[in-house]
Amino acid sequence: MENTTNSRECMLRVTDIHKRFGDLQVLSGISFEVHQGEVLAIIGPSGSGKSTMLRCLNRLETIDRGSIEIAGQYLAKDDGQGARYVDSEFARRLCTHMGMVFQQFNLFPHMTVLENLIEAPVHVRIRPREEAVEEAERLLSKVGLLSKRDVYPARLSGGQQQRVAIARALAMKPDIILFDEPTSALDPELTVEVLRTMRDLAEEHMTMVVVTHEMAFAREVANEVIFMSDGVIVEQGEPEEIFTRPREERTRAFLRSMLK
Amino acid sequence: MDKRLETTLSILGGARITLEIFLVTLLLSLPLGFLSALARLSHLRPLSRFMEVYIWILRGSPLMLQLLFVYFALPLVGIRLDPVPSALLAFTLNYGAYFAEIFRAGIQAVDRGQYEAAKSLGMTYTQTMRRIVLPQVIYRVLPPVSNETINLVKDTSLIYILAMNDLLRVARTIVQRDFDMTAFFIAGAFYLAMTAVLTWVFQKLEAHYGKYDE
Ligand SMILES: Nc1ncnc2c1ncn2[C@@H]1O[C@H](COP(=O)(O)OP(=O)(O)OP(=O)(O)O)[C@@H](O)[C@H]1O
Ligand SMILES: [Mg+2]
Repeated sequence: MENTTNSRECMLRVTDIHKRFGDLQVLSGISFEVHQGEVLAIIGPSGSGKSTMLRCLNRLETIDRGSIEIAGQYLAKDDGQGARYVDSEFARRLCTHMGMVFQQFNLFPHMTVLENLIEAPVHVRIRPREEAVEEAERLLSKVGLLSKRDVYPARLSGGQQQRVAIARALAMKPDIILFDEPTSALDPELTVEVLRTMRDLAEEHMTMVVVTHEMAFAREVANEVIFMSDGVIVEQGEPEEIFTRPREERTRAFLRSMLK
Repeated sequence: MDKRLETTLSILGGARITLEIFLVTLLLSLPLGFLSALARLSHLRPLSRFMEVYIWILRGSPLMLQLLFVYFALPLVGIRLDPVPSALLAFTLNYGAYFAEIFRAGIQAVDRGQYEAAKSLGMTYTQTMRRIVLPQVIYRVLPPVSNETINLVKDTSLIYILAMNDLLRVARTIVQRDFDMTAFFIAGAFYLAMTAVLTWVFQKLEAHYGKYDE
């Protein structure tokens, strides 16, 4: 399994990234790779820098040091003098390879479900509207929400909103999707439907980076798990290793606390 | 000439001036307010500070004083404006400041997640503002903008002091001349009609922009 994933194309390479907010050092040298078709789960205690790390990947935050490579192209590169970003127009285009799903869904409330899905394909990718609508309808039936096509987000349950958000990210045909605790804002019974959608994506070999508190999901769906704490990667490995034979005491303590 | 007809005609003439000042002020001060709000929210400190001072001065002092200043004080430094441009200048600057604060609050009320979602979808800043932020801002600011617009209808009566033959002055002249208070009622009815129309227009706009709101 591991050999096959490593021979695949490297979709995301993060090298020694550092990030601080004022006096607070949030990321202190994070490195990892994500290959085509791989699901990377990132777990760790609150405040360990998981969201910040994810947000750095698609320009919602900027890094101070280190490099980020997306599908073989640099977003930021460090030659030993701090991270230097490519020009913002190039960065914008490069980051359209990556979709993002947020904890709070962040659907556009003034647009219907369908309009949410076609907005970026039509205005960023400049696809013909009919084509974008067709694709959007295909994605909506995939997440089981075609009947909500012309409804405004306020009328949807949290679980439905999040599935629309996933479909919206997919509509851009991204190479990778980043998830930041996609089910943390949901009631347990709504969590299930979102996780099912994500599981389907993983089975179709979508490349995914998932920050999550859903240990069962990480264990069953991820190919690789990173445990982060205080801005560093404490432990990294296949789910079975991390969950059954964690080497580090900090990992063990965290997993114990999650089981409670 | 029939006195009733003459009275009606001069009141209509006054109403036209009032209406003109109202419409032109609205058309100029709304964009001014929007741009001022953006400048006020800018990360360029001097620009933001400048807008803060502008807004403070114009909202913090009486519109009447501003009107008098433009018409009577500016000539002392060589800037001499006719009554109509004077009124338009003072009204536009004043209402621009009010609208700036309304728009600023409206823009700030749009969740940060909206900008982040737009950015993660590859939208440019302009696209984000035009297609995502602005429609939500418009819906939010409609009620306070509606209020200010109705205030503006009534504030137009301040041009009275610039000796323009606006609705109010015409009405007063007629009442004094004829010892007949009808003209005041007509003027009052005209203001009420204007605010009624505006209330209706804003209700329609709110329904249009708020169709997504549960
Ligand atoms: N914009 C910001 N400005 C200042 N500090 C920030 C900012 N964003 C995050 N932080 C701080 O950085 C640290 C890491 O935050 P982050 O949100 O990345 O943690 P997290 O691992 O995602 O936690 P959680 O599991 O609670 O979501 C926290 O101490 C947080 O307070
Ligand atoms: Mg987080």
